[in-house]
Amino acid sequence: MSLPAAANDEYESLTIDQEGFLILVWPRGVTITGPAARHALDAVNEICDGTRRPMLVDMATTKSVAREARVVFGEKSAASRIAMLGHSPVDRVIANFALGRIPPRPPCPTKFFTDRDQAYAFLREGLDERVL
Amino acid sequence: MSESFDDTRLDELVDLIVQLSSGDLSARLEPSPARDSLDAVITGINLLAGELELTMEERVAERTLVLEQARLALERMALYDALTGLANRTLLGDRIGQASARAELGARPPCVLVLDLDEFKTVNDGLGHGAGDLILVDVAHRLTSVVRSTDTVARLGGDEFAILMPDTTEEDAMRVAERALKELHSPFTVVDRPVWAGASIGLCFGLRGQSADNLMRDADTAMYAAKAKGRGNIQIFRPEMHHAAKERLHIASDFGAAIARSQLRLYYQPIVELDSGRIIGAEALVRWAHPQRGLLMPMDFISVAEDSGHIIDMGHWVVQAAISQLRHWLVRFPDAPFQLHVNLSPVEVRWPGVAEFISEALDEHGVDPQRLALEISETGLMTGDVIGLEALMTLRRLGVGVEIDDFGTGYSSISYLRRLPIDTVKVDQSLVRDIATDGQQVGFVSAILRLIESVGLRAVAEGIETAEQRVQLQLLGCLYGQGHYFSEPIPAPELTELLTLQHATVDGEGPPSR
Repeated sequence: MSLPAAANDEYESLTIDQEGFLILVWPRGVTITGPAARHALDAVNEICDGTRRPMLVDMATTKSVAREARVVFGEKSAASRIAMLGHSPVDRVIANFALGRIPPRPPCPTKFFTDRDQAYAFLREGLDERVL
Repeated sequence: MSESFDDTRLDELVDLIVQLSSGDLSARLEPSPARDSLDAVITGINLLAGELELTMEERVAERTLVLEQARLALERMALYDALTGLANRTLLGDRIGQASARAELGARPPCVLVLDLDEFKTVNDGLGHGAGDLILVDVAHRLTSVVRSTDTVARLGGDEFAILMPDTTEEDAMRVAERALKELHSPFTVVDRPVWAGASIGLCFGLRGQSADNLMRDADTAMYAAKAKGRGNIQIFRPEMHHAAKERLHIASDFGAAIARSQLRLYYQPIVELDSGRIIGAEALVRWAHPQRGLLMPMDFISVAEDSGHIIDMGHWVVQAAISQLRHWLVRFPDAPFQLHVNLSPVEVRWPGVAEFISEALDEHGVDPQRLALEISETGLMTGDVIGLEALMTLRRLGVGVEIDDFGTGYSSISYLRRLPIDTVKVDQSLVRDIATDGQQVGFVSAILRLIESVGLRAVAEGIETAEQRVQLQLLGCLYGQGHYFSEPIPAPELTELLTLQHATVDGEGPPSR
């Protein structure tokens, strides 16, 4: 199951994998704008259709995240736990900045990883948090 | 040389920090494709700079908003009256200018109405500035309720207001003026008590090329003409009013010395028992023997005396002179039931120590307080002045008579009269005037006389000019009266002659001068 992105600066793909995890992939070198973040969040809620799921966000090589986008990421969504996956120290700084704007804390457990397996392990820890 | 030594990013990062610290918060450094730790630092600084820039922009926007609000508040202070929220003189002047400009382009001329409260000073001094402010705010509401949506109501200062009516007809302007007058003549409620203030209104229509200042000045002149005409009326500006205003200034300037130069005179109008025609008292009336203008009547100088503050000095002189004259008559006619009536203006009633002053004057001349009666105008008593009422109660306790003058010209109710320390009501001449010819008026006066009697007060009819009026009043049961029919106000020696004549008459029948 997947929802395609609407435009170039939007997310690349949104799917639900075999484990029931949401996989949101941003294109390489993207600047995530407010409307793009909003579109992604709406798509997440739509695809989950009332079910909360852990989500992996692949944001490796993201160029930047706009302030408006950071505010959108602070909203509660169908994601019950989020693992942000990047490759470099730059991704780490950007990911933590994205989280830093969210007051007082992210709406669900959220963590940055450079290792995909560790990211999945983090998501699996929260399987019992799924609300079906 | 190591690879890192060739890497210029660290120097570029230093440059970025220098640029940012110099205040250029838009400066950024592009991270390299390596996306290593140094790029992470660059990215972090870029993001922090972005945050700082946004915060600064927000702060600037916030400050700009505060400054804009302050500018609007200042503009409001400069153009609006803080107490009432009405336009002030400056804004009114601007709007008059705009209305005049429209008139130049073919619209009808603007009209300016200047309104001044007649008894505001009495209320303000008697009930306090807080009460005065409440009345001013109420006046603002009332005036706003009578104007058209295109008109501007302004407070010029103190108790003076103005209405600008752009593009207007005389008919519309008069309609608004009359409605304003009616509104302002209804009582104000201050601390749960009714207070009457009244107003005088002057109107002036703009002429081609006339400045806003001139238009306001002329409306002001018309307002003073309305005040001089007895207050509570509307006057449209006429050029000759300027002459009257100048005269008024001359009179005000001359009046300051009138007492010192012994130019004031007392005239006495007899008050008679209607059935017998016997003189039972007299009302003392002040005249000013002006060296150039001749004998001036109170209407020529009382309002000037009130406005200039000389009214208290004049009142003192009148009380002293009247009681001194009363003493002469009482010595000469000790058995005659004679009472002298002296007018007190609202300002005098409120004057601290007025009761003591009158009491001492009576003592000084050895006059029984019951031989003196004080006349206070109806509107003067209706201003709800506590201090004034206390003074009157003190005098009443001493035995001095207290009367309400010109009854029927104000808005007092009989039930309110009962609560005042008065013993006599003088029925105004405007009620007496048509009594011999107008059946409806007879019924009205009859009802008033019955009401006065029913609350235990004595009635004296003023302004009796004909035998028919006298007879009609007698038929209605009115016992006392005064007016030209019996006698004009006359100097003391002439009244002495009448009293002598009456004293010599065995049965005392017949009117003194008829």
